[in-house]
Amino acid sequence: MSAMRVTLDAEACVGHGRCYALAPDIFSANDQGHCVIKTDDGLIPVGSEDRAHQAVANCPEGALRLEE
Amino acid sequence: MDPAAAVYPEQRAANPYLPEVAADPIPFYRRLRAECPIANLEGFAEGTHIISRYEDVKFALRHPEIFSSDLVAVDIGQDRPLIPLQIDPPEHAKYRRLMDPFLGPSAIAYLDEETRKLANELIDAFAARGSCDFHAEFSVPYPCTVFLQLTGLPLEELGTFLRWKDNIIRPDVDPGDLDAAQQLRRETGQAMYAYFGGVIDDRLANPGEDLISRFVHGEVEGRTLSREEILDICYLFILGGLDTVTATLDCSIAYLAQHHDRRRQIVERPELVGAAVEELLRLHTPVMQVLRVVATEYEMNGVKMKPGDHVMLMLGAADTDTEEFGVDAEDFALDRTVNRHFAFGGGPHRCLGSHLARLELRVALEELHRRLPDYALTDGAELHYSPGIREIAHLPLVFEPVAV
Repeated sequence: MSAMRVTLDAEACVGHGRCYALAPDIFSANDQGHCVIKTDDGLIPVGSEDRAHQAVANCPEGALRLEE
Repeated sequence: MDPAAAVYPEQRAANPYLPEVAADPIPFYRRLRAECPIANLEGFAEGTHIISRYEDVKFALRHPEIFSSDLVAVDIGQDRPLIPLQIDPPEHAKYRRLMDPFLGPSAIAYLDEETRKLANELIDAFAARGSCDFHAEFSVPYPCTVFLQLTGLPLEELGTFLRWKDNIIRPDVDPGDLDAAQQLRRETGQAMYAYFGGVIDDRLANPGEDLISRFVHGEVEGRTLSREEILDICYLFILGGLDTVTATLDCSIAYLAQHHDRRRQIVERPELVGAAVEELLRLHTPVMQVLRVVATEYEMNGVKMKPGDHVMLMLGAADTDTEEFGVDAEDFALDRTVNRHFAFGGGPHRCLGSHLARLELRVALEELHRRLPDYALTDGAELHYSPGIREIAHLPLVFEPVAV
């Protein structure tokens, strides 16, 4: 795991689905199509950092945050 | 007419409903954002606000307590608010809790194969001819067939359903004859309620796996939906399910038929189709605007809005705003790294069908460009875009005939 961590504001997520389309190794969808973080504690696997950045930057609701 | 001329900064007004604007809205959006970011609808002195900048549209989408969707005042022939479109939070969430899972990504994933087969059958019908009306032969039948299968409605009735949604979305009356438009919408609304009343009776007696059966037998907060609630969902489904993907395909293919270098990028690198779908949705934003009503007094960009005022969130203007998308906001850029467009709206009312729409669009673009890599607009073709939701009446294409 890298030192990077992603957090989700579940109240802000409305299920656009950009995150799990862009970074399916980090995010998936619940039955409503809202974001679920797949990795333990939101830690980003080594090698997935760019995808994590892209997914977070593309959330139209600003529901995702990266901590480095 | 120059579409930007439909913005009147001296009167702080604009008219997004002109066909010239629907055909080429970007210059209109540009001037609107720059010179008149909160405009009145032309002809209405006060009480209608067109909001066009990305940040302002985003704020309004995310604040339903100020910008309400309770639009029963807007007459589209309905007796009650459409569900869930015209219901505000927190009530809204309970319907979405029931409905979202039926149209979520995992629930519809199985449609990839079926839609691919359908797309190919439709292409088969015109591939050897070397020409087609893409609107009539693909943009309409493709999403509508998928929708009717999902809802268990008879394909033979498609003509009736299409007439109903057109009567409501773009009533065929003399322009400006608002009374005639309203009457047509009323009659159509009553016909839809009567028809879907019969469908509900059928699904009560013979439940199936289709969406309407699921709504008839589904529960919100431990109770089944009332007959009226199901009718209010069906009303919305006819409007939302049979028009928007058609318009998106029309706008997208018309653009790619006239921009060969862009099309070639998709043909040569099919893995870019996902990015192309997002960029086509953003740049063309086929649903130009969504409506809201002001719930509490609010001031935006120095304009005071009062309860009951109508608000048009110009999604297409937000989606081409350089403040959000950079200097190339008006270009089709497959290498765009950040694309937070609102073609499906945003906030709690994010389009219920967005996952289905994206799947349909991706599959259609993949198959079309695999089968017919070189197509162009027929010489001399004039494209007529309809305002509001940008369908193109006829989209004549030519291409090298391919044996089927």
